[in-house]
Parts: sequence; structure tokens; C-alpha cells
Amino acid sequence: MGECEVSSTFEGRAVLPGNLEGEALVTQVGFNAYASFYNSLHENVVSAECADSGNKELFGKRLDGKIICLPYTIGSTSAGAVWQRISRLGVAPKAMLFSQPIDSLAAGGLIVNDIWAGRRIVTIDQLGESFLQVVKSGDKIIIEEDGTVIID
Amino acid sequence: MDNPDQLNIQLSKEERDILQGAKGSVLQKVMKTVVLYGEALGAEQLVDIEGQGHLVIPWSIPGISPPIDMLEELVDAGLRTKHPFTLDPYPPLDFSNLNLDPEVESAILEMHSKQDRYDELMMQLGLRDEDAYTCNPYQPEVGNIPKQDAILAWSESACAIFANSVLGARTIRNGAIMDLLLNIVGKTPLTGLLTDEGRKANWLVEIEMENLPDPQLLGTAIGLTIQSGVPYLSGLDRFLNNDLDETTMDYLNEMGAMLATYSAVSLFHVENITPEAVDSGKDLLTPDYRKYVFNAGEFENIRTSFSVLWDDPKAKPEKCYIGCPHLSLKQIYWWADRIESEITSHKRDRLAVETILFAAPQTLQVFQDDETTYQRTLDAGVSFSSACCETIFETRLIDGNLIVTNSNKLRAYTSARFFTDEDLVKVLVSGGVDGRV
Repeated sequence: MGECEVSSTFEGRAVLPGNLEGEALVTQVGFNAYASFYNSLHENVVSAECADSGNKELFGKRLDGKIICLPYTIGSTSAGAVWQRISRLGVAPKAMLFSQPIDSLAAGGLIVNDIWAGRRIVTIDQLGESFLQVVKSGDKIIIEEDGTVIID
Repeated sequence: MDNPDQLNIQLSKEERDILQGAKGSVLQKVMKTVVLYGEALGAEQLVDIEGQGHLVIPWSIPGISPPIDMLEELVDAGLRTKHPFTLDPYPPLDFSNLNLDPEVESAILEMHSKQDRYDELMMQLGLRDEDAYTCNPYQPEVGNIPKQDAILAWSESACAIFANSVLGARTIRNGAIMDLLLNIVGKTPLTGLLTDEGRKANWLVEIEMENLPDPQLLGTAIGLTIQSGVPYLSGLDRFLNNDLDETTMDYLNEMGAMLATYSAVSLFHVENITPEAVDSGKDLLTPDYRKYVFNAGEFENIRTSFSVLWDDPKAKPEKCYIGCPHLSLKQIYWWADRIESEITSHKRDRLAVETILFAAPQTLQVFQDDETTYQRTLDAGVSFSSACCETIFETRLIDGNLIVTNSNKLRAYTSARFFTDEDLVKVLVSGGVDGRV
């Protein structure tokens, strides 16, 4: 897995597969899901602005509907319940693209959301370090069922 | 997922039967969640959980805990955990201890409007007892103390890292909800920190300080620097006893909680102190380990790096929250003694800042039984609570309030302002953030 010969195409592992397109939002450091969605867990939210002041790349940016490109997640294990909540509220990202093998905290939350809320956040991992070196926030991303990720 | 033959993870006949619905549709869904989790983490198989759980889901607030309807579904199916479990601290509903504005109290009540039913469901699902709420469950008064090498399925990042590192138990860093489901199945994926290989250290952290560094700052610095993996710390044994006495345990509890807050780390080794480091020393390091030196420069960098989220950085603090994670009995006595000596030396009657110490119900009870010291501490202007102070901020009504703390975890998630213990004592007595009395 990792980068193919075509530099904008990457082959990952489809943890929660799906076909979709969207806009990349990139963090080079660990994504603290609990801190990031801290302000987006209450009824009547219409968008999810990143509330993690410790993440200089994402703080204040909208996370809902985006394809978040990250190495792994960090922080509070309360994050496990966050994914199901933001999915039910309609402010979840479209997809999570991990450069590294998915961490246990993210895997648990995203899988629980998938099975118990029935709302998929497409999840691909093992895209390789070069993926995060190439992808930039704002890039158009195409994700295919088999875990292929194309930076258009 | 409906066909176990397509999975890489190897399942026993019983697990396969459950996955195919032999014991009901709800347990089937629970097992499906657990198996897919193991598959995602590259586990070879599931293994039995060998001890009590500790879970991060005490509050009925949606988004932080399982939805009530999910818990009802589990209980209606007759499911409960294989072993009893303890939970993180109870919601801040003990208003007599917290002195909150009425609108904040109303918001907390609204947020926890289903807490009574939630509590009932937790008892039905396996909560150890009605007071089993703390983020410091391994205190002797609480008694959820895993045995070395015991396989667990814990959450609460501060607790999982302590159980792994200081007690030598073995747990993945599980998240909310998955923690409950694993303990219901009674099995957890055999991967990562459950394996000898996964517990190897890929970072050597050399602590080159003349004095014992503040644990909050050390943990934060290591977390921010290494972000993931397993660090092996050398140099702390110059300052800490290697018999894991109360002081050492408290130090490592604070340090580990901060390390986990600022990273994905859920295991550290401390040379000559933590069990696996005592047994194996630097043999725990992988051949390609990286190195980080924590020295006076690093200490100063991290100490001065935190943003102040108050409108007026020089404003006088209104409140102080101490005990995130919950204090040990020894730490409560340290604060009681230190506060008393400081106000006495400055000829004050009581603290200038309203201060609340947070600890487990059982730990607080022991302190309260020492009636003389307890009363003296109350008289100094200190209150006590067993709640989670961070949850008060989730009302969004105290953002920007002038709250100070010695917890860099609380600071990470809120607008509270961090001071080291000694600096904080001076702030509390003086009433000003410069600590001048």
C-alpha cells in the first residue's frame, strides 16, 4: 500500500469502503477528535468548526462535509462517542483518510458509528507518509470502493 | 462481515456462532462491532478480558456517551459485562459543592436530564456499585487495581496509560462505547499493546534536569513531541523512588494523563521504576528508536507556550479547579497542608480564590473522616467534589470564565488557565495571577 507510480493516486486499505468525491482538509499532526468537535455536539448545530486550538492547521475551519487527511487521531477517549453523535446531527466529515494504520481510538469510534448509527464515514488507512506530503487542503479528492484515493 | 471466512482475524467456533446470530441479534451486532474493530487493528484473534473494566462513559450527554436508546437495546437483550466496571467521574450535579450560577446549574440539569435512567442502565450493564465513579480508580480506597499482565479493555486515556505503564496490565487505548461493547463480549483484539512486540519502546526520552520536572509539563512536552508510539524515559529514577510508592505513583499518574492528552501514546516505560523497565531495561528499545532530550530549555519552552484564553490576562481568578485527574489521598493532604502553611505565613484567614479539590468519593470519605484536617481545610476556603470539573465547561456557559487549574488536561479542553502546583498556591493566596501577596 502507499503511493503508486502516478503521484496523485494512492492505494490504501478500505476500513469502511465507499465511492465519493470531496474537498480535502489536511492536518500533518494528530487529529484530536474530541477537542475538534467539542463545540459541535449539541442539538441545532448546523456546521462543525474545529475547536481544537492546539491544531494550528485546522482550528476554526469547517470539518463537516470535508475529507479529512491525517496521520492518526490523538486525545481523549471520549472521542469514541463523538463520531456517532456528529453523524446523527449531520455535521460529520465525508471521509477520513489516514496515512498510517488506523489507531484504535479512531477505529472504534468510526466502526461503532457505522454499525450502530448506520451512517458511514468512509475510512481508508495505510495511504503512506507520501500521501500527506502531496495532498493539500482544498484539493479535490476521489475515493474508490477498493481504497484507491485520487488527488485530482 | 457476514461471512467469517472472509476475515483475516481468526475466530473461535463460539465467536463465529455469535457472529452468525446464534445468541440473538443484539449480541450479534455487538460481536460484529468487536470483530470489525479487531480486523481494522490487524488482530490475529480475540482474547479473553481478565479483569474489571474502567470506562469513560459516565455522563448521559449525547456525543460523549452512548445514546440512551443504544443502552436500552443492550439491556433489553439481557446483556451485561463479563466483569464489573468502574466509570469516570460523575456529572457535576453536586451543586452544593460547586457554587455555580443558577443558569449554569439549569444548563447542567438540562444536559443530564436523562441521567437517572442512564445510571440505572449502567448498573444493569455491570457498573460495580453506585459510587464507582472516578478517573483514578486504582487508588486503594477505590480498588480497581489490575494485576500485572492482566488483559483488559479500558478507556479513559489517563487510566489506560496508567494501567499499561505503571501497573503493567495490558489494554488497547479504547474509545467510548467500544469500551462497553468489548466488556460485554468479554473479549478484546490481540494486537498492539496487548503483545510483547507492541510494548517495545520506539522513543528514548532522556530527562536532563537538575530537579524533578513538573509532571504536567513533562507529560505535555513528550506527548507533543513524539505524538505516537511508546517512549522509554531515562533520568527520572534520580528523583523518584523505584519502589512505586505513593509519590511516584501520583507523579506518573499526572505525567501519563498529560502525555495521553497530547498524543496517541498509551504506554510509557520509566527506567528502573515501571515493571517492564525494571525487568528488561533498555532491551525494551527497538533497534531504530528515536531520541528526545528534555532539558531546561525544553521545560521553559513548554511552560511558556500556552495561550491565555481570558479577555484580560491580568484579571483576578474567580475559581480554581484542582483534580483533573482526580486527586489521591496523599495529594489532598499535600494541598491541605500547603494551603494552610501559605495562608498562615502571609497572615491570611483563607484563600483569596474559591478553590475546589476533586477526588473519588471513597478517597474524599477517608479525608473527611479526618475531621480536624477536613474542617481546617474547609475553613481555608476549600470545597470538595467527586464530579468531573471538565464537564462543567460543556454547558458552554463558563467559557472565558476566570478559572485557574493545575491540570494541563483541563486547560487543553477549556479556557481554564494552567499554573504549576507551587505557582498556583501563590495565586490562590494572593488572588492575582502574578502570585504576589
